[in-house]
Amino acid sequence: MTGDFLALLPKDPPLPPVSAANGLPAPLHATTVFAFHSADGVIIAGDHRATAGNIVFSDRTEKILELDSHSLMAIAGVPATAFEMARMLQTAFEFYRRSQLQGMSLPAKLRALSKMLRDNLPAMLQGVGVVAPIFAGVETGEPGAKPGIWFYDPLGAQFEAASFAGSGSGSGAIKSVLHYLETWGQPRPAEMPLPQAVTLANRLLMTAAEFDTATGGVHPKEREFATIRFLSSQGIRNISSKEQEKFWNEPSSK
Amino acid sequence: MTEEPYRWLEAISNRREDIRDQLKGGTPVFALSRPEGLLLVGVGQGQSKVFEIYDRHAFAALGHPVDIEKVRQAAIEAAHLEGFNRSSRDVTLRRLISFSLSSNLKNAFEQVFSPPFILEAIFAELGQAPAQDILVRLHYDGDHHYETSGVLVAHHDAQSEAEAAAWVLKNLEPKDSLNRAANLCLAAWKALTEKRTFEGLAAPSEKPEAISGRVVEIALLDRQLTGPVHYRKLDYP
Repeated sequence: MTGDFLALLPKDPPLPPVSAANGLPAPLHATTVFAFHSADGVIIAGDHRATAGNIVFSDRTEKILELDSHSLMAIAGVPATAFEMARMLQTAFEFYRRSQLQGMSLPAKLRALSKMLRDNLPAMLQGVGVVAPIFAGVETGEPGAKPGIWFYDPLGAQFEAASFAGSGSGSGAIKSVLHYLETWGQPRPAEMPLPQAVTLANRLLMTAAEFDTATGGVHPKEREFATIRFLSSQGIRNISSKEQEKFWNEPSSK
Repeated sequence: MTEEPYRWLEAISNRREDIRDQLKGGTPVFALSRPEGLLLVGVGQGQSKVFEIYDRHAFAALGHPVDIEKVRQAAIEAAHLEGFNRSSRDVTLRRLISFSLSSNLKNAFEQVFSPPFILEAIFAELGQAPAQDILVRLHYDGDHHYETSGVLVAHHDAQSEAEAAAWVLKNLEPKDSLNRAANLCLAAWKALTEKRTFEGLAAPSEKPEAISGRVVEIALLDRQLTGPVHYRKLDYP
């Protein structure tokens, strides 16, 4: 018994591969997601917009997905592929934990996502399944373990982020601001307490939305906030819209 | 041998006797439906007897460790495939036991030239309220029944198993803490393993039952947990 859930699934895809050149409509894309280290843990956030070409398909998309109690995946790219990957990983991690009576190690989780991206190569080459996710995780069962951020290229190469990572069409602007703040900010994002870091995350998405039409769905004045999760050695905490609004209105977090 | 029907019946009967003999070395496991969730209790000697199966499902068994492991793995595989292909709400004990596990156990039991499963088991499914909890008692031959009283015991001897369940049910109050509920199970465990009668057996207090040289395993399918996973182990005492 290997504890490998994916080995239980049928090998052949239910539908034959297709080509984008066959006149398919423009595939959906989900943008923008990012993660950065704050004083007490990792902030991982995303907007709510999914687009198909120049069409806004949805402004209520959830792109930060909990894989288990100590790992998260932020998706940018084709949602159909990304959601399926997340679902497979969620089931695979829980299956391993239950069947092997121990949690999967953090390096094994990172490798599982890498392998899944690699297996997605044919769909990616056809232009219908490009996914460039961000992974945030912390080792379980190790007191004081620090959470980490990793980002991937669509082929499955994995890189650990020293301070922050971003993916999706609006991530360029966000990474520029985060680089500026990490270098010259007072305080730096890595020194920010939770309320300030959460407010920064919302501001970053609003900044990205100024320059990228594919980023959207964050409007604090209309009480619409980002999807934000906070990861620490204690596990994952969802920062609700209500909590984000409270932080947004706190003078100390401005 | 099998060309003669009565020989097959005799072989089955011998097989039943042999399995019951082998099960005598096992000690009982318990499941109780409580307001906080489903409580499972087992006492082992290093090897686990209480396990998580899926988001709202747990399993406790006595018997041969290898057979317990085989049934556990089969249940986990079936539950995760169903949960992945459909949804976690579609993973139900009724389907898991009726369409997957019990038929496999029955087949193994009746194939007289291959080894049977040596185990007695409890499966538990957490509902939104105690009235929706499901407890299933699964036997080595695939026979199974749904228990509606909220108390289920698995032991090698059917009569003492029923007496233990009745005693726990009689002494359990709706407002009892999880600690007291676990203590009742452990007091019943002691009585069963020491082959004492339940008549006149005093119910224990909140003070933990001392069980030396063994590992007490207590788990809760916690109704209050908001995420998908409801199973958690409890410390004892």
